[in-house]
Amino acid sequence: MKFEFTVNGKNVSLEVPPDRRLLDILREDLGLTGTKEGCGEGECGACTVLLDRRAVHSCLTVAAQLPGRAVVTIEGLSDCGEMSDLQRAFVEETAIQCGYCTTGMVMSARALLYENPNPTEEEIRIALAGNICRCSGYTQIIRAVKRAAAEERGEAERD
Amino acid sequence: MKIVGSSRPIHDAKAKVTGSVRYAGDFDLPGMLYAAVIFSQIPHGYVTKVNVDRAMEVGGVVEILHCFNTTDRPYNRFRTMKGQKTLEQDRIFQRHVRYVGDRVGCVLAETPQAAREAAALVEVTYDPLPFATTVSEVLEGKIDCIHPEGAVFGAVELAFGKEPEMRPDTVETVTETFLPRLTHMTMETHCCVASWDRAMEQLTVWSPNQSVYGIRTVLAELFDLPYEKVRVVKTTMGGSFGAKQEWVLEPVTAAAALRTGRPVKLVYNRAECMVSTISRGPIHAKFVTKITPQGKIQSMGADVILDSGAYVGNACDYIQALASKFFRCYSYPFAHYTGRAVCTNTPMSGAYRGWSAPEMYTMMEHNLNMAARRLHMDPLELRLRNVALPGEVDRKTGLSLGEIRIRECLLLGREKFFWEKRKKENRAFNAGQTRFRRGIAVGCAGHVNGYYPRFPDYAGVSMRVNESGGIQVLATLHDHGCGTVTAMKMIVSEVLDLPLEKIQISEGDTAVTPHDVGCFASRSTYVIGRALFDCSEKLRDELLEACGRWKNTDSSELWVKDGEIRFSDGRAVSYGDVAVWMLREEQKELWVNHQSQSQSNPGVTGAHFAWVEVDTCTGMVKLLDYLAVHDIGQAINREMCVAQIQGAVAMGSGAALSEHMDTNPKNGKTTATMKDYHVRNTPDFLNVRVELIEDGGTQGPFGAKSIGEACYVPVAAAVAGAVNDALDSDLSSFPLTPDAIVDLMIKREQHEV
Repeated sequence: MKFEFTVNGKNVSLEVPPDRRLLDILREDLGLTGTKEGCGEGECGACTVLLDRRAVHSCLTVAAQLPGRAVVTIEGLSDCGEMSDLQRAFVEETAIQCGYCTTGMVMSARALLYENPNPTEEEIRIALAGNICRCSGYTQIIRAVKRAAAEERGEAERD
Repeated sequence: MKIVGSSRPIHDAKAKVTGSVRYAGDFDLPGMLYAAVIFSQIPHGYVTKVNVDRAMEVGGVVEILHCFNTTDRPYNRFRTMKGQKTLEQDRIFQRHVRYVGDRVGCVLAETPQAAREAAALVEVTYDPLPFATTVSEVLEGKIDCIHPEGAVFGAVELAFGKEPEMRPDTVETVTETFLPRLTHMTMETHCCVASWDRAMEQLTVWSPNQSVYGIRTVLAELFDLPYEKVRVVKTTMGGSFGAKQEWVLEPVTAAAALRTGRPVKLVYNRAECMVSTISRGPIHAKFVTKITPQGKIQSMGADVILDSGAYVGNACDYIQALASKFFRCYSYPFAHYTGRAVCTNTPMSGAYRGWSAPEMYTMMEHNLNMAARRLHMDPLELRLRNVALPGEVDRKTGLSLGEIRIRECLLLGREKFFWEKRKKENRAFNAGQTRFRRGIAVGCAGHVNGYYPRFPDYAGVSMRVNESGGIQVLATLHDHGCGTVTAMKMIVSEVLDLPLEKIQISEGDTAVTPHDVGCFASRSTYVIGRALFDCSEKLRDELLEACGRWKNTDSSELWVKDGEIRFSDGRAVSYGDVAVWMLREEQKELWVNHQSQSQSNPGVTGAHFAWVEVDTCTGMVKLLDYLAVHDIGQAINREMCVAQIQGAVAMGSGAALSEHMDTNPKNGKTTATMKDYHVRNTPDFLNVRVELIEDGGTQGPFGAKSIGEACYVPVAAAVAGAVNDALDSDLSSFPLTPDAIVDLMIKREQHEV
């Protein structure tokens, strides 16, 4: 079947089975390997992408759900290699270790900040509940999200 | 210091956060095939037939390797060096399968989907044997046939020091601890890519791993290839914690590439990664301390049985390694140890963060908490009376513990964690109502900095200066994702007073970088970092001498500053200009080489403090506060050390409260999903406080000691200790799940009734 949708702002038209996972479409059909598979069952969050500005597990989203919708992956967050404020905050707050959870974590944080530009720490923790990081204790990640939120609101980070 | 001790992002942070970094699973080589492994569906038996007819009909299937058409030469998945004594029981594919998840074969296809579809269609016929999933069944003789040598390996009895004469009032405390199977749960699952260039007879293997040379020695001998024809390249690693310290996928992928002459990629999914790689083997142990009424430890003893799973792998070494941890934290006259490894029809055991130290300190600290109760002594005070002091000796190795700072960790933690105040508050809180119980505990631990003196430990590095004044370093690093490359750059940067961006450091590649056993045993910073420190000093001296020759100046009047060589008259020359002058005038590259051997292994310790609230109705445990105090010598990359420590607390509190893999005794199947293996997520966790004691004084670079493993060692002990303090219980069968806590409450109620 043919499916038409957008990925990172560009029109995509693909002939794939309706149950093909979005994760495989991104990684294998479109070569967007920034999205990772950690568990394939919606437990780890490494494959998180945006679907119409909301965070979804791309391992649990299939082609049939995509027509007319807008997918954004980690590759769509940076502009010609320039990191977004959120990505830069992750780098500068030492929120990245092995990096395998990072792209999914950033996408979940992106969805949160679209919906809630001024989240409390508890709201950040809940928004990232589905994203597992095995290297850190989440402290630097939460700090990065707080900082990016403040920067996007045009405020200096308060802590 | 300018840069050592500051905080820097991991070297490839930008590539990771933009998604451009390539892990092995992201590789796409021309003509690449995809592999899917066929796993044993029975816990024990012989494969009698492999029928591939239906599988070969799947479109895109190219080849099927299995136990009857592939070499059955044995090897050991944990070997890192030629000449190492290991038991060779692993095979690429097994005819005698020993657990559900053992490898029987693999399908190679043009797409990953075709490979997996076909793997499910391969018909394997078995001749089943009796199986046992528990040590007790094995010890009853149920599966003596599991290996030609039997089922019990590596039995040891060791004694250290001299047992003092015990006074009659010595308090003996006997405790029993059960530790379940754990999985590392690295976010990146195991993966490997291999290619065989038939014309050049060159095998190349790319994988996230902790020892490129370890893989080379196994693959070269498995396939009868000269070592120089096997190139192993370490790829970006999405976490290891020991999981990628043993060679599980590499032999399979290499065999597939050799057979087909095409590049092959094998990526395990989560279930395969949990069951069919390695895990931390379950341990059942008895621990005994004898302590005077004044609180001085006279002896410690442990009797340990390790469930090593289907194959021995590292278990004979692992069971010995436990005994190496007796004297890394406390000083006392005598220790006695017995241990053995028992094979069962369950997943393979293997390396795990801390390599036996977390197990040892979990049982030791639990015993000390119980002993403190019997002695009517504050548990922290009991520890203060027994911790090793600077210059004391590890009775196992006879080596000095050097500038050990465990006493300082305890004293600082007591103050910063409000130990006395919270103890009082807990009593008041617990007296005020019945549902919730609060408790507090400290867990101490000691670890190592490399292998010395158990095994030879050495490192070699080379460095050269390029025309733009950058430093290019060859070292066999294997960054697990914890920032090894950045830490090493910081060391070089500090010595040469050069910006971090001007330094490039390689990771392990057997065609390029020097021989090295690998990045484990907490040796990276202490041993390789030391070699880099020394090499940087050598390079600095070479730079000054070359500059002196060029400018006809005595090199002793020159010094380095801000990436330049300075003269006393105010002139300055860049490193790049000196390198160019040498190339043009002396026809030499500005290049130095350095090898060093480790000759020390100071005490590296930590004291962790946990404060918890237990809901006695639901059995849920909430961490109210946690403080980790570490005797780190010198933090090289401060925030990265802090982040690693906090990550260790997340991982260790999971081990204390929720993480366990179980094998069903009826069918031999083992926990294989993340939803059934509960790791900490953000709402579960808190901001762990960290304090670092940085008194240096070691032979590590800038006085550094290890951290990545040391910080995991005391966590389960501290968290479980706090739960036991809250409940006045002696729970020591891990993890302390809500079910286990509720069971205890029910038993107490029934007892009261």
